[in-house]
Amino acid sequence: MGLVHGEEMVLNIGPQHPATHGVLRLQVRTDGEVVSQITPYMGYLHRCFEKHCENVTYEQVIPYTDRCDYLSSMSMNFGYVVAMERLMDIKVNERVEHIRVVMAELQRIASHLLCTGVFGLDLGAFTPFLWALRDRERILDLFEFTCGARLLYNYMWVGGLSHDIPVGFVESTFEFLDYFEPKIDELENILAHNKILVERSADIGVMPKDIAISYGVTGPNLRASGVKWDLRKNDSYSIYDRFEFDIPIGEGKKGTVGDCWDRFYVRILEMRESVKIIRQALASMPKDGDVHQSLPKKIRPPKGSVYARTETPRGDLGYYIESDGSPIPYRLKMRSPAFTALSVMDEIAAGWLLSDVLAILGSLDIVLGEIDR
Amino acid sequence: MSQEKEKLIAELVNKGLDGDMDSVNACEDRVTRSKVKAMIMKIKKGSLDRPQMPVSLSDTPNESDDTGKTDDKTTEDISQKIKNMLLDNFPDETDETGQDGHMYVRPDKWLDIATWLKTESSLLFDSLQCQMGIDVGEDILESRYNLHSMVHDHYLEVRIRVARSNAKIPSVEQVWRIADWFERETYDMLGIEYVGHRDLRRILLPDDWEGWPLRKDYKEQETYHGIVVPKMKEGWD
Amino acid sequence: MGLLTNKFQQDNVVVEKLDKLLSWSRSTSPWFFQFGTACCAIEMMAAAASRHDLMRLGIIPRSSPRQADVMIVAGTVTMKMAIRVKKLYEQMADPKYVVAMGSCATSGGPYWQHGYHVLKGVDIVIPVDVYVPGCPPRPESLIEGLLKLQEQILEDRPLTRKMA
Repeated sequence: MGLVHGEEMVLNIGPQHPATHGVLRLQVRTDGEVVSQITPYMGYLHRCFEKHCENVTYEQVIPYTDRCDYLSSMSMNFGYVVAMERLMDIKVNERVEHIRVVMAELQRIASHLLCTGVFGLDLGAFTPFLWALRDRERILDLFEFTCGARLLYNYMWVGGLSHDIPVGFVESTFEFLDYFEPKIDELENILAHNKILVERSADIGVMPKDIAISYGVTGPNLRASGVKWDLRKNDSYSIYDRFEFDIPIGEGKKGTVGDCWDRFYVRILEMRESVKIIRQALASMPKDGDVHQSLPKKIRPPKGSVYARTETPRGDLGYYIESDGSPIPYRLKMRSPAFTALSVMDEIAAGWLLSDVLAILGSLDIVLGEIDR
Repeated sequence: MSQEKEKLIAELVNKGLDGDMDSVNACEDRVTRSKVKAMIMKIKKGSLDRPQMPVSLSDTPNESDDTGKTDDKTTEDISQKIKNMLLDNFPDETDETGQDGHMYVRPDKWLDIATWLKTESSLLFDSLQCQMGIDVGEDILESRYNLHSMVHDHYLEVRIRVARSNAKIPSVEQVWRIADWFERETYDMLGIEYVGHRDLRRILLPDDWEGWPLRKDYKEQETYHGIVVPKMKEGWD
Repeated sequence: MGLLTNKFQQDNVVVEKLDKLLSWSRSTSPWFFQFGTACCAIEMMAAAASRHDLMRLGIIPRSSPRQADVMIVAGTVTMKMAIRVKKLYEQMADPKYVVAMGSCATSGGPYWQHGYHVLKGVDIVIPVDVYVPGCPPRPESLIEGLLKLQEQILEDRPLTRKMA
């Protein structure tokens, strides 16, 4: 039986397509059903983030960072304030650090919930999506309770927070965690070990270690390829070095290390670790401490530049801030994790069937807001 | 070698060792400059003694630098070591060493340097963390690379300066694959041309967009495909 | 037919204008085309999912413009996207309505001043019926906006000739 080459077809997916997770356009070259090349076209959501940063003051940048990765706004805020505090040499008090960690980890759970839910939706499972969103709503309630916003918070400020946590927040968070932990098992049972999902994701879209590193893939996607790399441990910004948690990595339980299933499963495991961190952080949170204590009167960082990285639910988020001593950033560059994750698409998806492309895209968990910025 | 030149070298070496590399780099004569740099290296390695500071020339103590940077001493040491190695291997291509963990490189041999940085066993910069372009003013564009080694866990920032009129830098997309998209983005935003890039197109803006938005003198175009790009809607004041 | 349930003794005839019947039936099932681009799309998803459950109002998300009556433009529309927005709007079958969700779709939102690539309001390219303010609007606001749209559809008289 000889190798038959069919007619080459160019197929366009997006920019408006329910499975592209936003306004992404994929130009797919196929030979029959087999994909030979994928060219992503983005920029349909290019909102000139970096240009805005050069025109607004340092405080005013924070709301724009929210809108870049709208699924994990807290983490985006966190990365920016960590970078700014490093540039200005500000130390915040213990209470602020603890609250930040709690918020960032809650946000990680919310983001991973949506990712796993939508991954199920991409592969045809509707119920887990509703389950995931049901639990996500409860996290959003906690955020709303704290700062009044459901999605875009502007909560972390340079040198502090916009509000202290309200009375009863700690109790309600513990209550949520008690409710949520069994729900992770439920989600795992219905999705991760589901025969259909395993068939459609195991052994598909394998991303080897070296390719992942060369393409700058980070976060859960890199860890799924078997690299134990997490900035919370490796860089230990903020106070992450005080908490005990594991870094789950892909082990290829259902197929090869670094396949779609691993990328999906690492996120479920990470939710458990986040629950652990939140419990520890809430338990060790100091009772008093003013969250506005170290807010600078005027944000005028010294001349110079800083590049700081933090771990968002999607990977290494880097902010490169160049300051010329004025209250407006001279240049601010965001190194977004989803941008690098999308760039690997052509490398890992070529050779698979057309229907696998959407599974691979879903497993990378991209957010167009931060790819296009 | 003349007496004066020796004096100058001694002075510059002393200044360089005290952390004032700017005056070394300000030296006009290229031969002198490389001699000074080589001498500094040897002294740091311990194979040469520090020369006496000549008295006749001006010696203002330079203490403005290196204060308050004690907390991350180790990373500073590493980046200094990397810089020295780079100066050893590519003496003519490295321009000047910056003060806080970055170094300037001339564009001509950047691809060789990048390959060396990635493959040299004691460096192994296997991941390009971030690449960005910046308009530093005075008709100069800068391309900056934040490198990180996953194996050794050290960082380096490389900066390359080019004039606007000849904004061409060798592409490193074949060294680090992610540079492909990073360079396309920098090209899109600042119009730096990466020579040797296999697919240099605009990445975020449409192909028929005019101008380079992140240059400081950027002016928005009036219309795009018949859609007016208004600054303000009528009656908004 | 909620308001007529249990009102009659036996089989009966209801006299009503055909116009009104048509617009009433249209108003109770405005299937929407989920044109989500940015942050607002997440809130639109939340509105359609578990807690808020848009479907109980007869408002069902569709992925294709051909099957939809309402286009919810949720999120920032950029210059690159504007051409596609117009194309997708034209692909919808009449009668069609547009809801601009969020401040980006209504006016450019936080990007109105320096956003060289952001369309300052989707009404520059397509006609908008209902504007829902907020950044992003809560799911409740979107539902309110859709209820307002239902009221507006109810006012329509599709069979009556429009006077110039």
